Amino acid sequence: MSTETIVVLAPGPVPVGEPDQASRRSLKPAGALKAAFLIAIALYVAIPMVAMARFAFQNVPVALLSPDKILTGWSLAGLWTAISDPGIIAATRTSLLLVVLAIVLNLALLLPLAIVTEVRSPHLRPILSAITLLPWVIPPIALVVGVAATFRATVPWFLASDYSLVPFYALWAMPFTYRALDAGLRAINARTLYEAARSMGASLGTVIFRVIVPNIGAAIVAAAALTAAMVLGEFAFASLLLKRTLPTEMVNYQRSDPRGGLALALLVMLLTALALGLVVRSLRRRGLDVQTTGL
Amino acid sequence: MRTMFRRERRLGILVLAPFAAFVALFLVYPTIIVLFKAVTPGGTLGVDALQRAVTGTYRTGFVNSIALSGTSAVIGGVIGILLALTVRSLQRPRWLRPTLDSWSAVASQLGGVPLAFAFIATIGAQGVLTRLLKGIGINASDYGISPTGFWGLVVVYLYFQIPLMFLVMLPAVNGLRSTWREAAAILGASGLRYWRSVGVPILAPSALGGALLLFVNAFTAYATAYVLNPSGALVPLQIRFVLQGNVISGEEDLGNAIVAWVIALLLLSLVAMTLLQRRTLTWTRP
Repeated sequence: MSTETIVVLAPGPVPVGEPDQASRRSLKPAGALKAAFLIAIALYVAIPMVAMARFAFQNVPVALLSPDKILTGWSLAGLWTAISDPGIIAATRTSLLLVVLAIVLNLALLLPLAIVTEVRSPHLRPILSAITLLPWVIPPIALVVGVAATFRATVPWFLASDYSLVPFYALWAMPFTYRALDAGLRAINARTLYEAARSMGASLGTVIFRVIVPNIGAAIVAAAALTAAMVLGEFAFASLLLKRTLPTEMVNYQRSDPRGGLALALLVMLLTALALGLVVRSLRRRGLDVQTTGL
Repeated sequence: MRTMFRRERRLGILVLAPFAAFVALFLVYPTIIVLFKAVTPGGTLGVDALQRAVTGTYRTGFVNSIALSGTSAVIGGVIGILLALTVRSLQRPRWLRPTLDSWSAVASQLGGVPLAFAFIATIGAQGVLTRLLKGIGINASDYGISPTGFWGLVVVYLYFQIPLMFLVMLPAVNGLRSTWREAAAILGASGLRYWRSVGVPILAPSALGGALLLFVNAFTAYATAYVLNPSGALVPLQIRFVLQGNVISGEEDLGNAIVAWVIALLLLSLVAMTLLQRRTLTWTRP
């Protein structure tokens, strides 16, 4: 896929289509239709979340639910039990460590590569772009079979460790990371900066760490946030390799305590959404459009 | 100058080598082993395993997965495009666009465990919506609206498919220039004619490309499907079944063969998507 199609970070505000004056005047009934459509979408988005919150925090079985009982039995007790569960605490620690390590490994591999490719050999960009799309073709559920067939037989100690997930998570974060970095580099015209700095006698290290990296901070933050969201949500690979990460432990926990399990899931989801939403918004406010699809 | 160049070429290799080694070791090597084993079941070359992977229950798995992914891609695609077109011309509630953008970014990543939990609380046997519908005399599971029914799964998958399509379509929809519409109007084209001759042909490649992406996205979704119904007849769940040794021994090749088919299917979809996206390029260039 050519990255020209979707600009990840673009200087200036996102071009928004001009509202068609002509159509606006002639579309009075269509306005109502649009409103109805948006309300339907809003309901579809909200209802499962409300249902989940009700199940998590209201200790009244659905069968006994009636209009006069709507306000009874609400409590946060389930959530407290869940977040003080030792298994959940251990899994959360593992997952947070995995997040940090995956971000570090991912940036260590891709950041120098993206910079050097952009300033020295831009003709290699399409190739790199294609390679970083490979994780779409070989998703966790497919790769886990190959990993089990190869690493389990040859280096069993490797898969025994929780940290064996790190390289794979770094791998699946590549599409997001590379596209964010690449667009960040092009938005600041990295090659011009590189040539200017070099012609004034800066060494390559100085160019990279004191000129380019500080300028693409926003892209790096976006890449890290998307990697974190990916790692905190990944279930298939961890589950099939029998690892106790937050998502897999959440499923285990929910079997013994459905209410607490749902409360915990809601909390994790809200925190992830809030963090990701804040990053996206703060970047937008700075006039950077972040594409989060990893394409 | 020349020594500097040589040093920098070495630098190119220095940054490329770890990346290449990393991808080769953790992605390419396991994949090649699986593909190789898929075509050499029991150590000899043959299409035995590949054939078995698409017969019987495994055929059902592929049929179900393709039907589910296809349906959720088409419905999610249509709603996603409509959403992008609707918001494009709306300026008024100022908070609407940024909220929708942020929400889409989050929700398109949201597949997985929490999402499945949310829908169990909504359309599960003890779900709020199930209960509400029963109150007005409708048994939702009769229509397949349960976490294990086909339409139930479609409803759940749409929760991440619609925002993904919205994000994918936004650049293309924003690329529709109002001058084109004015030009069409001056030439005497009606609204319908404008869409038939200008709007749809321009949006079509990215819409089809987006739908393919949604297909891939749904086909490989594991967490949601697993939490809703671990024994469902979907390809990702069958891979788990084979992988965990729930089949008679000597069937390891089966897992490899299923994965080989999956990779072929995904590769085909993504190549088609890339070609379509290249067409889109012509019109979205600023």
